[in-house]
Amino acid sequence: MNKKNAGPLTPLSPSLHANAEAIRNRFGGSCDIVVRFFRSDAAPDRELAIIYVSGIVDAETINESVMEPLMSLKLPQHAYVKGGKLLEALRNCVVSIGSIKDVSTLEEALQCLTDGLCVIMADGSPAALIAEVCGGEQRGVTIPQTQTVIRGPQHGFVENIRVNISLIRRIIRSSDLHIQMHKIGRQTHSNVAVLYLHGTADESIVKEVYRRLAAIDIDGVLETGYIEEFIQDETFTLFPTLLNSERPDTVAAALLEGRVAIMVDGTPLVLMAPTTFFTFFQSPEDYYQRFDIASFVRIIRYAAYVVAMLLPALYIAVTTYHQEMLPTTLLISLAAQREGIPFPGLIEALLMEMTFEVLREAGLRMPRAIGPAISIVGALVLGQSAVQAGIVSAGMVIIVSFTAISNFVMPEFNMAATSRIIRFVYMLMAGVFGFFGIFISVLFTLIHLTSLRSFGVPYMSPLAPGPTKQGIWRDVFIRLPWWAIVLRPLDLSLRNPKRRPNGRKPPAQRHSDKP
Amino acid sequence: MNKWKLLLPLFVCMLAVGCWNRVELNEIGIVSATGVDWKDGNWVLSYQVVIPQAISGMSGVGGGSAASVNVFSTKAEGFRAAISKASQETSRRLYFSHNQIVIVGQEAARKGMAPLFETYLRNHDARETVSVFLSKGSARHMLEQLIPLEKIPGAAIQRMITNEEINSSTYRQMTIHQVLLDLMGATKATGIPGLVVSGSRESMNRADKLSQTNTPSKVRLFDLGLISEDKLVGWISGEESQGVMWLKNHVKRAVIPFACTEEAKGQKSSSIRIIHAETKLRPEPSGGKWIMHVDAKAVGTLMEYNCGGDLSKPAQVEKAEKFIEAEITSIMQKGWKAVRKYRTDVVGFGNVIHKKYPKQWAEAKDNWTELFPQTTLKITVRVKLNSAGMSGSGFKSEQEKRRS
Repeated sequence: MNKKNAGPLTPLSPSLHANAEAIRNRFGGSCDIVVRFFRSDAAPDRELAIIYVSGIVDAETINESVMEPLMSLKLPQHAYVKGGKLLEALRNCVVSIGSIKDVSTLEEALQCLTDGLCVIMADGSPAALIAEVCGGEQRGVTIPQTQTVIRGPQHGFVENIRVNISLIRRIIRSSDLHIQMHKIGRQTHSNVAVLYLHGTADESIVKEVYRRLAAIDIDGVLETGYIEEFIQDETFTLFPTLLNSERPDTVAAALLEGRVAIMVDGTPLVLMAPTTFFTFFQSPEDYYQRFDIASFVRIIRYAAYVVAMLLPALYIAVTTYHQEMLPTTLLISLAAQREGIPFPGLIEALLMEMTFEVLREAGLRMPRAIGPAISIVGALVLGQSAVQAGIVSAGMVIIVSFTAISNFVMPEFNMAATSRIIRFVYMLMAGVFGFFGIFISVLFTLIHLTSLRSFGVPYMSPLAPGPTKQGIWRDVFIRLPWWAIVLRPLDLSLRNPKRRPNGRKPPAQRHSDKP
Repeated sequence: MNKWKLLLPLFVCMLAVGCWNRVELNEIGIVSATGVDWKDGNWVLSYQVVIPQAISGMSGVGGGSAASVNVFSTKAEGFRAAISKASQETSRRLYFSHNQIVIVGQEAARKGMAPLFETYLRNHDARETVSVFLSKGSARHMLEQLIPLEKIPGAAIQRMITNEEINSSTYRQMTIHQVLLDLMGATKATGIPGLVVSGSRESMNRADKLSQTNTPSKVRLFDLGLISEDKLVGWISGEESQGVMWLKNHVKRAVIPFACTEEAKGQKSSSIRIIHAETKLRPEPSGGKWIMHVDAKAVGTLMEYNCGGDLSKPAQVEKAEKFIEAEITSIMQKGWKAVRKYRTDVVGFGNVIHKKYPKQWAEAKDNWTELFPQTTLKITVRVKLNSAGMSGSGFKSEQEKRRS
């Protein structure tokens, strides 16, 4: 991955001090570069040096596994040493670290240093020994902050990619779980890992993921969002075509369904591809709860999404164009609320929606300590007082509040954000053309949705194009019991489409029949 | 980028043409009832406009100081001309889509209701689901009456007729649609329930009058107006209207009081609640005239029975059924007599003949007003008591039994 930004390679010089100086110079004399010269009994005539970047290495490991064996070595005349193969001797007999390798160029050594490895060099050898001593301060595995469940595993990904990979490994204990590491970013050299289940994931999709990752050329990757914008199929769409999650169980489930996961070092959020529209309505908890509860909640979620997108628009259309559609009593009660309101319905709705968006953004960005102030301002000042002051009608406050609440039902934040933006378009169209406008914009949305693809998989599948297999609906709008869900979704895995051999409930042994 | 260039004119169009028929809720006057009167060669249209603030719970408890509706009238030679004059005396556009009822004054109904139907058929905001009533006095007077329990008098009258139709089936809700169906059908006749202000002469036109426990006067359903072509030809009483309902197969649920004789005479001290009724008409030509076989079936529950006898015995039940059959037959006869007098086929015999004997009808229809009263009715009623209620023999006989 980093081949393209590799210039001409500089071989290491035999002189230890020259090498150390070269490394120092390359880092511009940065203060966190530690160069320690020392002599070992292993080769009293030759000076040794250990170089590392402080803070990203585990100091204890360096002391215990590198420095101490080297300095307390009691084998002065080892066979290897005589042959001038000092580094080989150190590697094989002295340094007690699992992951260790040799490098012979300055650039490789620099790369290893920034990755959190330590470089051991000896005077007279144009090579260096690299020992993996990664460490330093980092956050421990905690409860996921953004995607919470009541029933289900309670740990989330962290910023360290190694830890994240290990979390997945612990769930899927199979050699079929293949993990490929890439480096992306001219400056950050971020580790990007691609995970998939060999034999389940579609090979062509895995290849496509590699191809798109390889094409990325950027100075730094700080979050999966960077990757997402590079590899998504369609840029100019409001709908997310890649799923992200900070839950290991969600990622493991996606891998089992034949999806490909992409991790980036430094962020707890993991991308999953391909992703279709209906995936965004499936919470991990759907699969841990009983199927009837899960199905009910999922239907609620679909309904809430429609509400979040359309409710203000419908309200505007009905109250300004289609008053005849309301029951008389409701119309009179709405009309009573609107008495003395200075703005037309559309302006009123836009005003309240904008207020809510500002309130939400403010609540997100402001310091934790003044959090409660926002709720007071929001609930009292903007809700109640705005009605009492006769600026907006009470009905509109109800509509905006319900819309806002509905929006939070969505398990995936980015899909919820979509409905927030589309809502404004619908509201404008409703204010200008009434139901006709809503109908036209919904139609355009549907046309757009069916034109989207995620890594070649139609976005609206299995709805459009129609289902290709029997039983594909068992986990879309509702969820049937686990024993009934035989197929993996979406034709992702053509060679291995079935999760389990049949769709029958395993027979239960009735112990009570026997005495 | 051509796509974006294309969007620009679309956006301009949106700004240019959008919103042209937008109406905010506080720019419309919701009409809950309309009255039609004929006075000195002009149509007088009255509107009962809802005042939303007075109705909505926000402004104090009900029965407060403000009346919930406002009534005013406009006058012109044409219907729509009168409506358009309304803008000269009201700040809001009159909104007819939520109109509940249309009340036609007696004068106007005698003059002819054709212009009313014409407006309803031609305009989209006037709904054909509106109920039509005739009024014995002026229609405007009816609109001015407040009705206890309900905030909007128009809606109250609408509910009154629904309640009546479902629970006692003396009158039927006549929507503009139904009236038009009847008047454009074979017989060109229909019946429309009438309204009257009963009680003292004091008008219930002030909100503070509702603060008493009783009201000096009230609006009630009264008599059925017979319409032929498009004009009111006469009134028949409520009892006669019930007969018409039976003949027309419109009885849904009704309480029928009956006497303990098979001649339907004497004190009607017992009652049955009809829960299902069906009337079939079968015409039969007989020498230029017609015989109409009326075959009614009814199922009901006994609610009150003062004829004695143990109803746990089938023979007694059959006897009771006979009494009721006699009563229903008598009701139908009364209705028939009344209708025959006015030569108006509101019972729809003509329609039945038209369907069954289209050729004969083609000959008969021209002088149907002459032929119709000469029709012979042959009524058979079959009543089935499906339950005698929760008591078998009744209070009196049970008391006798205990004494012995």
